[in-house]
Amino acid sequence: MATDTTDHPAIRRNESWLYDTRFGAILRRAILAVTGVLLGIFLLFPLYWMVATALKTTAEIQQIPPTVFPVDPSLEGFVSVIESSLQTSGLDSFVEGLLGIDISSAIDINIIGNIYNSLFVAVGAGLIAVLFGSVAAYVLSRREFWGKNGIMSLLLASLMFPGTAIMVPEWELFAALNLFNSRLGLIMLYGAMTAPFVVWLMKGFFDDFPTSIIDAAKVDQCTPYETFRYILVPMARNSLIASFIFAFLLAWNELVFALTLLDQSQFTVPPGLLTFVQGFNTQWNVVAAASILISIPVLIGLAYIQRYFVQGLTGGAVKG
Amino acid sequence: MSYADTAQASVDRVIERVPPRLRVYLPLVPVMSLVGVFILYPIAQAIYSSFFDKSLLDPAGAEFVGLENYQEIVSDPDIHEVIWNTFVWVSVGSIASILIGFVIGWLLYEKIPYVSVASAIVLIPWVLPRVVGASIWKFMFGGSQGIINELLVQLGAIDQYIVMLGSTDLSLYPPIVGMIWRLAPLFALLTLTSLQGVPDKLYEAARMDGATPYEQFRYITLPMLKYPLAIGFLLMLIYNIRNFSMVWVMTTGGPGVSSSTLPVMIYRTAFVDFQVGLASALSMLLFAVLLVFSYYYIKVYNRIRGGF
Repeated sequence: MATDTTDHPAIRRNESWLYDTRFGAILRRAILAVTGVLLGIFLLFPLYWMVATALKTTAEIQQIPPTVFPVDPSLEGFVSVIESSLQTSGLDSFVEGLLGIDISSAIDINIIGNIYNSLFVAVGAGLIAVLFGSVAAYVLSRREFWGKNGIMSLLLASLMFPGTAIMVPEWELFAALNLFNSRLGLIMLYGAMTAPFVVWLMKGFFDDFPTSIIDAAKVDQCTPYETFRYILVPMARNSLIASFIFAFLLAWNELVFALTLLDQSQFTVPPGLLTFVQGFNTQWNVVAAASILISIPVLIGLAYIQRYFVQGLTGGAVKG
Repeated sequence: MSYADTAQASVDRVIERVPPRLRVYLPLVPVMSLVGVFILYPIAQAIYSSFFDKSLLDPAGAEFVGLENYQEIVSDPDIHEVIWNTFVWVSVGSIASILIGFVIGWLLYEKIPYVSVASAIVLIPWVLPRVVGASIWKFMFGGSQGIINELLVQLGAIDQYIVMLGSTDLSLYPPIVGMIWRLAPLFALLTLTSLQGVPDKLYEAARMDGATPYEQFRYITLPMLKYPLAIGFLLMLIYNIRNFSMVWVMTTGGPGVSSSTLPVMIYRTAFVDFQVGLASALSMLLFAVLLVFSYYYIKVYNRIRGGF
């Protein structure tokens, strides 16, 4: 059989009337286009609606039927988010004096304070997960030892469990350890939730790493630690950054534990937004504006980790 | 000697104390202790608590009640409704996410221009903070200003705005729609990646042997996609059954328990009704299902990667 795999005009991907007759081709494209547009609307309209809502005034939000395009685009929602954050965190008089403006907010939402708490927790959890996870991944990838399969299975299973399944005992644990309402406790918990994930992602990287380079390091009398530190870590930079972003995003998005293990003063972004959404007389343009603000870090992160996405989600089982 | 050298030397001294045979386990200690304390221990604790009548407000005054909490699961009609809701959630949510996700993945594969940009956009619903996505859907379904009511009126499906999130009959479904919106992109990307992973060579060879398009799909595409899509299927089940935020943000599980799933019921039992024992017994139910899913996940994983 020919080993030439380059495209040959005589060999097409498919041979079927859907491809080979004119009517078939038009029909096929029409079906693709209609399904594509419908599914596109399903996926993207909610995102558009968030942006459109954020740009409406409080009066326009209450119109029935709702307006599809903001009639009078305004940044009122964003201003409210910032003003109420300043007021709730007690910085209002400082900024009033600084800028000579008057801040009085009728709502009670401290998104900027929540963002600060979230950043603190998410960066901490990400660092713990990457540090602990990558070291473990290296050993699990390079060495054979008793109990390895058990540990790997345990780590994979522990990825499936956290969240809702253990919220009650986690609360009891935090109460017993006196970690309730402490960011350090949450950092360790998120670290524990994401470290197995990092182990899986990094193990995939180390598994595919050429043995010859490691052998060369051995010839040059590097200890295993030196090989890890001076050869693997620099070459794994991208995977390590991706791992960090994965861990960061999990901590940034996590609701259940943040809601049950913190109180209002230490709330991260998800429970912070939640209390406002479930509050009495929700102002949706403010919610939408806050939603956009807290989604920005996520979208930046997505751009970087897209390449690792499938690999990460499936524990390295499926590679992009 | 620099600080780093001193630190290195003291680390070396610690390592030397460990028998050489066990040194390989040292790098695993940090991860395993974190996971042990924060994930495995709580699971054990939940098993223990499920045999007690325990209040969240007075954990010390717990009283051993044997299987009473489990008996309550068997006899309480509210919990029956919750279990049925969870079943509907997981089956409808997973099947719809898989079908829609597969079609989106296939469309992306069909030579869409700028496929990496397109797939990044498709992924946005999945990566947005869950509370954000759920809030958008709450606003769209909810209240008197909901756009979905307006859309249904315009399409002629209903005459006037109806209450969806606050209705005992309907409230289960809006969060499922939101969840499909969140999960379908994930399955789409998995489909796309798997399709791209099928080598063109295989199709060419099959065509040279005279395989029809159907045969190519049946004997090449499908077998090559089998395990990746099995992983995707299990992920859909796991994410659906674990989901808390979509329901809690949109309906808080109400009215009554009409839109509650198992995780929401656990939360309500423990943190609204303060019944830790019953909530732990409900957690056991969730564990059991997740354990089965995880077992198959690990099995499929080993099939793909050929062992750890």
